[in-house]
Amino acid sequence: MTGLKAIAAALLLILSAAIGSASAQTNKPAEIGFGVFTFTSGPAAAYGMPGRNAAELVINQINASGGIGGVPIKPIYVDEGLGTDGVIAEFRRLASDNANQVMIAALSSANCLALAPVAEQLQMPTFMWNCDTHQLFLKDSYKYVYRTNSSTVPEFVADALYLLSVDPTFKTIAIINPDYAFGRDAGLIFKETLKALKPDVEIVAELYPKLGSPSYNTEISRLVSAQPDVIFSNFWGADLENFVRQAAPRELFARSKVILTLGESALQHVGTLLPDGVIIGVIGDGYWLAPDAQRKPQTRAFVESYRQRFNEYPVFPSFKMANTLYAVKAVYEKALATNKDRWPTRDDLVAAAKNLKTDTFTGTLSLREDNDGLVDQIVGVTQKDPAYPFPVMGEMVRYPATMVTPPVGTDPIAWIESLKPSILATVPKPGSYK
Amino acid sequence: MIANYLPLIVDGLADAALIFFVAVGLTLVFSVLRILNVAHGSFYALGAYLSVVIGTFAAGHGWPVLSLGALVISPLLIAPTLGPLIERTLLRWTYGRPQALQILVTFGLFLILEDLQKLVFGVQPYSQDISMQLLGTSHIGGIVYLNYQLLLIVLAVMVGICLRLLLKKSRIGKLIVAVVADEELARTVGINAPRVFVFAFSIGVFLAALGGALASPTIGVAPGLGAEIIVLAFAVVAIGGLGQIEGAALAAILVGFTRAAAIYFAPEFQPVAPYLVMVAVLIIRPYGLFGSIGLRRI
Amino acid sequence: MVVRYILILAVVAGLLPIAVPWLGFVFTLAVSKGLAALGVAMLLRGGLISIGHALYFATGAYAVAFLMRDAGIGDLLLLFAFATLITTAVGFLVGAFMVRYRTIFFAMLNLAVSMVFFTMLSKLYYITGGTDGLRVATPFLLGIQLSRGAFDLVLQNAALIVMVASALLIDRYLKSPLGEALGAIDTNEVRLEYLGVSARGVIWAAYTVSAGLAGLGGAISAVAIGHVVPELSYWTVSGQLVLIAVLGGIGGVPGAFIGAFFLELVRTFAVGVAAEVWNAIIGISLLIVIFFLPEGLYGLIQRLERRRPNPK
Repeated sequence: MTGLKAIAAALLLILSAAIGSASAQTNKPAEIGFGVFTFTSGPAAAYGMPGRNAAELVINQINASGGIGGVPIKPIYVDEGLGTDGVIAEFRRLASDNANQVMIAALSSANCLALAPVAEQLQMPTFMWNCDTHQLFLKDSYKYVYRTNSSTVPEFVADALYLLSVDPTFKTIAIINPDYAFGRDAGLIFKETLKALKPDVEIVAELYPKLGSPSYNTEISRLVSAQPDVIFSNFWGADLENFVRQAAPRELFARSKVILTLGESALQHVGTLLPDGVIIGVIGDGYWLAPDAQRKPQTRAFVESYRQRFNEYPVFPSFKMANTLYAVKAVYEKALATNKDRWPTRDDLVAAAKNLKTDTFTGTLSLREDNDGLVDQIVGVTQKDPAYPFPVMGEMVRYPATMVTPPVGTDPIAWIESLKPSILATVPKPGSYK
Repeated sequence: MIANYLPLIVDGLADAALIFFVAVGLTLVFSVLRILNVAHGSFYALGAYLSVVIGTFAAGHGWPVLSLGALVISPLLIAPTLGPLIERTLLRWTYGRPQALQILVTFGLFLILEDLQKLVFGVQPYSQDISMQLLGTSHIGGIVYLNYQLLLIVLAVMVGICLRLLLKKSRIGKLIVAVVADEELARTVGINAPRVFVFAFSIGVFLAALGGALASPTIGVAPGLGAEIIVLAFAVVAIGGLGQIEGAALAAILVGFTRAAAIYFAPEFQPVAPYLVMVAVLIIRPYGLFGSIGLRRI
Repeated sequence: MVVRYILILAVVAGLLPIAVPWLGFVFTLAVSKGLAALGVAMLLRGGLISIGHALYFATGAYAVAFLMRDAGIGDLLLLFAFATLITTAVGFLVGAFMVRYRTIFFAMLNLAVSMVFFTMLSKLYYITGGTDGLRVATPFLLGIQLSRGAFDLVLQNAALIVMVASALLIDRYLKSPLGEALGAIDTNEVRLEYLGVSARGVIWAAYTVSAGLAGLGGAISAVAIGHVVPELSYWTVSGQLVLIAVLGGIGGVPGAFIGAFFLELVRTFAVGVAAEVWNAIIGISLLIVIFFLPEGLYGLIQRLERRRPNPK
C-alpha cells in the first residue's frame, strides 16, 4: 500500500505547489533581481573578487540613489567555482523566477559559451560582463545575449601593435598562456598579427600549462634556456601572480621583454617584482589612473569609495563589472523612457539595448548589430611612481575600438591576415595617451 | 653538453624530491597498516598552508629566517596532532574490515579534509616565497638556478637515508619491520601493535606535510592541491610497488624526469606523462618495479 | 519488490515537475547519476570499489558531443544507443587490464585512468574544446526538431523510462549466474575458481556492463545540460557516484536511484546555503552511512517494510 500512499502524497504536493506558485504580475516590482556570476573561490577568485566587490559597490550606490526607476536592485551572486553544469543549473533556477530580470554573466569564457544558448532558450537578457572569447558571436547570433566589453581580437591585436611600436627589432618570441580557449585564442591571434606585420619573426616556444597550475618552475626553466627576445602571456588571476613570483628571481623579466596582457590586475600584489618596461594591458580601457578615468568625477569617486571599502585600488575586472552594471542601468532607463506606462518587459529591454551607446566610468561603450561591444584598448608599460607603493602604467596608448576590431561579419583571422605593416605608421605612439 | 641539459636535470630531480616525500609516506602507511590512505594528499596541502601561514607571520614580524624554520615546524605541528587523532578514531575502526570499506572511509576523510581546509584557510590562493628568496640563486652556464631546488634534492636524499636507518637501526624501526612481516606473530611476542600503527601513520603524515611545506615557497597554495598530488602519488606508488621505500624513490625520479623532459620536448603530453609511464611499467611488472603480491617486507 | 519501488519513484518523479518545472532538470540529472552509481554498486557487490567511474560517465557524455558534431547523428535515441555502445566498448578494453587487480590496485588504477582521461580532455583543445568543453545542441526525436521546452519534457520522461528499464534489466542480471557469481567474488574468490567459474570473466562482464550504464548516464546528462566539460571525469564526480551507491544501498537495484534522487535534491537546496562545504557534506554523509546505515537508504526502507504487518 506504500505505493498508493506515495502517489497520493505526490498529488497533494502538486496541488499545493500549483496553488502557491500563481504569481500576480504587478506592474512595478518591489525589487529587480540581478543574477551576478563571477568566481569567488579558487585561483580565478583573484580576478573574480574585484568584479564582485565592484558589483556590490555599484549596486549599493544605485540603490542608495533610488534604484532603477525607483525600484531597488537585488543582486544574487553565483560562484562560477560551481563548475559549468552547476552554473547552468543555477542560471536555469534563477531564470525560472520572474523576479529575476537580468543576468550579469559570466567571467570564464567556458561558462559564457555554455550559458549563451541557455539564455537564448529561456529568453533571459544576459549581459556578459567579462567574457572575451571572440568565439561567442563568431558562429551564432543571439537576441538576448550582449557583450558589454571587448573581445579577444582587439585586445591582443592592440598588444602586438604596442610591441611593434616600442621595440620593432626583436627576432624571437615565446608564448606561455593558460590552456583553454582564452589562452589558445590569444596565442593564435598574437601569432597571426605578428606574422602579418613582421613576417620574419620566429616562435621558439609555445607553452600552455593547465589553467590554475600552482607551479611554473619547469616552464620558466624552458623559457630561460630558450632565451626569447619577447615573451607573451595572457595569464590572469592567481596564475599570473604565481608566474610573476616564480619568474622574477630567475631573471626572466630582465632577459626578455615580457608582455603581460592582463598584467594590471596583479600590479598591486606583485608589481614590485617587475622591472620598468614590462608591457601591461587591461584588455579594454578600465585603468583607474588613465587620463579619461581621472577626468571623470564619478570615476574618481568610485575609485575612492572602492579603496576605502576594500583597501586596494580597483583593477580592470572591477571596471568591467561596474561599466556593465551602468550599461544595464542605461538600458533600463531608455526602456522606461520609451514605455512610460509600464515596467519594461524582456522584449522592451532587448529593444532598448539594441545598438546602445553609453558613457562608462572609463570611456564609452557601443553595442554593435551583433550585440558585441566596442571598447577602446589601453596598453602601457610598468613605471615606478613615487606616489604609490607599486608600479603604475606609463607610456600609455589608447587604441580606438574601430582601429583594432574586425568589422561585423568578417572572419577575425582573415581580417588579421589582411593587416599591412604600413598601418604601424598610423597608430598612436607610446606615451601619446595623456 | 651536460650544461645544455642541466636545467632539465635540476628540474626533474627537484620535482622528484617533492613527489618522493608524499609517495614514501603513502607507501609506508600502506606497508604497516595495509590501508591505502586516499586522504594522504590532504596532509600535503595542510603542510603547505600551515607553512605559508607561519612563514607570513614570521616575515611580517621581522624574522624572515624563521620562515625557513616554518618548513619543518609545520609538519612537526601537524603530524603529532592529526596523526594519532585520525588513526585512533577513524582508522582503528576499520582494521580487519573489508578493504573496500577502508578505502571508502579514507575517501570520505579526504572529502572532509578538502572542505575543512577551505573553511580554515579560505578559498583565496596563498603565497609565501621568502624561503626561496633567502636562499638566492646560482648562475651556472648562463642560466639562473634557484638554490632552493638544490636544497630540496639534498633534503629528499637525507630523508630517504634517515628513513632506512630508522627502520634498520632504531628500536621502533625494528618493531615496525616485525609488525609488517607478521602482525599476529608480533602481537604474540608482546609487541604493542596499536602503538606501532599510530607511530607509523604519524610518520606518514609527517612526510606528506613535509612535502607540502617544502613545496609551498615555489607554488601558489590553493584548494585542489591535495587532490592533484594524491593522484600523482598513487601513480608513483603503483610504479614503485606498494610498500617499497626504494621503489618509491626510483619511481619518483622516473616520474620527475618524465614530467620535466615532457615540458622541454613534448609540452602537450606533460600532464599525462606519469600515467603513461605507470601503464607501461604495470604491463611489464603488474605490481610495480619492486612490488609483488605476497611479499611482506619494507 | 524491485518493480514496485522503481515504478513508484518513476511516477513521483514524473508528476512532481508538473508543479515545479525546474525540478524536471534536477530529476533528469538524478537519473543520469543514478545509472552511473548503479554501475559502481554492481562492482561494490564484488568487493571492488571503483573511485574512477566518472571516466565512463564522461566518455558517454563526450561520445554524444562527438557524434553530434563529427558523425552528424542527431537523433536522441540513436545518440543514446551509440554512446552506450561506445562506452561499453571502452569499458571492455579497460576492463581487460583492470581485472588483473583487486581492491586496492583496482581502486587506484580506476582513479588514475579517470584522471588521465580528465587531463587528456583538458589538454586536447583542438579536438575536445579543452577545459571549455563542447556544446551539445538539442537533438531530434524521430526526425522532428522540437522546441527546447518541449524537448526537455520528452527528455525527462525518456530518462524515467530508461531508469525503469535499466533497473529491471540489471536486476535480472544480478539474479543470473553471472550476477550471483559477482557476490561470490567478494566472499571467496578461490572457491569460485574451484567451481570452474572464471573470476576474471565474471568481473570483466560486470565491469563492462557497469561501464555501459555509466556511459548511458553520461549521455543523458550531456543532452540535459547541453554542454560537456572535462570535469565530468574528475575525481569529485567519482566520489559522488560512490556516495550515491553507498547511500542508496547496494543491496538492491533501486538503491542507486533512491540515493541519486536524494542527493540531487539535497544538493539543489544546499547550493544556496552551503556551496563551499559540499565536499565535506558528502564526506561526512559517506562516513555516517558507512558507520550507522551500512545497508543504505534502500536497506532502511526494506527493513521498515518487513516490520509493518503485511495486510496481504
